[in-house]
Amino acid sequence: MFALVLMSLRAKQRKGVEFFDVLLMEVCSPLEKASTLVIKTVQRTFQEHVFLVNVEKENRTLKRKVAELQEENRRMVEMKLANERLKRLLQFREETPLSMIGAEVIGQDPSSWFKSVTVDKGEKDGVKKGMAVICSAGIIGQILKTAPDYATVLLITDYNSAVDSVVQRTRAKAIVEGKGENRCQLKYLLRTEEVEVGDAVVTSGLGGNFPKGLMVGEVKKVDKKGHGVFQYAELVPSVDMTKLEEVFVIMEPLRSSLPQEEKVKKGKKGKK
Amino acid sequence: MRRLIPPLLAGIFLLVFQATFLSFFPIQRIRPDLLLIFTLYLAFLFPPISGGILAFFLGYLMDLFSGNALGLYTFSRPLVFFAAQLLRERFYLEGFAFRFLFAFLISLSEGILISVLINALQPIPLGSFYPSFFTCLIPQAFFTGLVTPLLFFVFRKGSPFLSRQSEQRIEEGEYRP
Repeated sequence: MFALVLMSLRAKQRKGVEFFDVLLMEVCSPLEKASTLVIKTVQRTFQEHVFLVNVEKENRTLKRKVAELQEENRRMVEMKLANERLKRLLQFREETPLSMIGAEVIGQDPSSWFKSVTVDKGEKDGVKKGMAVICSAGIIGQILKTAPDYATVLLITDYNSAVDSVVQRTRAKAIVEGKGENRCQLKYLLRTEEVEVGDAVVTSGLGGNFPKGLMVGEVKKVDKKGHGVFQYAELVPSVDMTKLEEVFVIMEPLRSSLPQEEKVKKGKKGKK
Repeated sequence: MRRLIPPLLAGIFLLVFQATFLSFFPIQRIRPDLLLIFTLYLAFLFPPISGGILAFFLGYLMDLFSGNALGLYTFSRPLVFFAAQLLRERFYLEGFAFRFLFAFLISLSEGILISVLINALQPIPLGSFYPSFFTCLIPQAFFTGLVTPLLFFVFRKGSPFLSRQSEQRIEEGEYRP
């Protein structure tokens, strides 16, 4: 009956009962709002928590991928650095007329008193005791012990090492002796010789092991205090002995290791 | 002879570890001497003759891979072994502090012995050698001492592999490194 009355009113006036409509809307809308809120909350809960199982999986996968890419990046950087190092060594090898063999440093000295490294080339490769070991930056040391496949290199920083050298600028002669801890000292350097901090020291070629003119290091300290015939000078090797990775062993004896130009000159003289 | 092989292999492993992984430390002077600690441990496990032979070989290995042509460690390591054997009965060596002190003093004594020998065997005395007492010897002895209690614990865990005798000693309650 009520419905029929309402229908009749609507058909006649073409509008609803305003009061009734408003009342219903005011009652229902909060319920609708609450219902929507609940639905949205549930939906959000599902999206943010329940569906996160996949996100967690995805996160793990992405993390793994990031780690893989980081590892790959590290490998690439390492390869790049190795490439640069090897390029420098190759360039040095091409520029140097000496017969050399490349070797990789595989171990350091197990004791703290001595300074040496083990390389992966030995007697089978022609390495012999006393051969000079160098790299593009300068001299490293000499072969101390050999095995068929490996050899021990006595570094110039070792207390037992002595290399006949000259100060490049003044041609003052001295013996470079190891002091441990990546340092050397110039022994038997005459007090009358003018040596300054920053002077380069190179091999004299007189010792018998190292060819002439190879970089040994740079003078870091000069002390003329006290009395005596000699002055004291400290030297920092041009090669960082704590970061050795690849080295060259000079294979030919010193006598035949003269630069090519000199050989050519000698050859011409002989022909004349 | 067969029972000398496992400790010898362990010694080679420690030597390789010392010469490669420990060399990556930026400060070389704090590198502990693992082979010295191992030699000290052997003094608790082995009788004088077989232990002395082992210490000799461990010292020989050290000399082989170091820039030392004189065989100083071949000489010093058996001495370290016998000194440790002598001291183990006379001193209390339980706990961190005593083991640290034990290894520190032995390492220091060996360093002094080696430095005296190096200087004595040089044709010209090395003037620049003695400052390394403070820069090299003492820090290294300190860190060797510091690592000793930990390594003794590790060696103790692995001692059944090192020596059958140690197992017997553990059972008999004799073994107390």
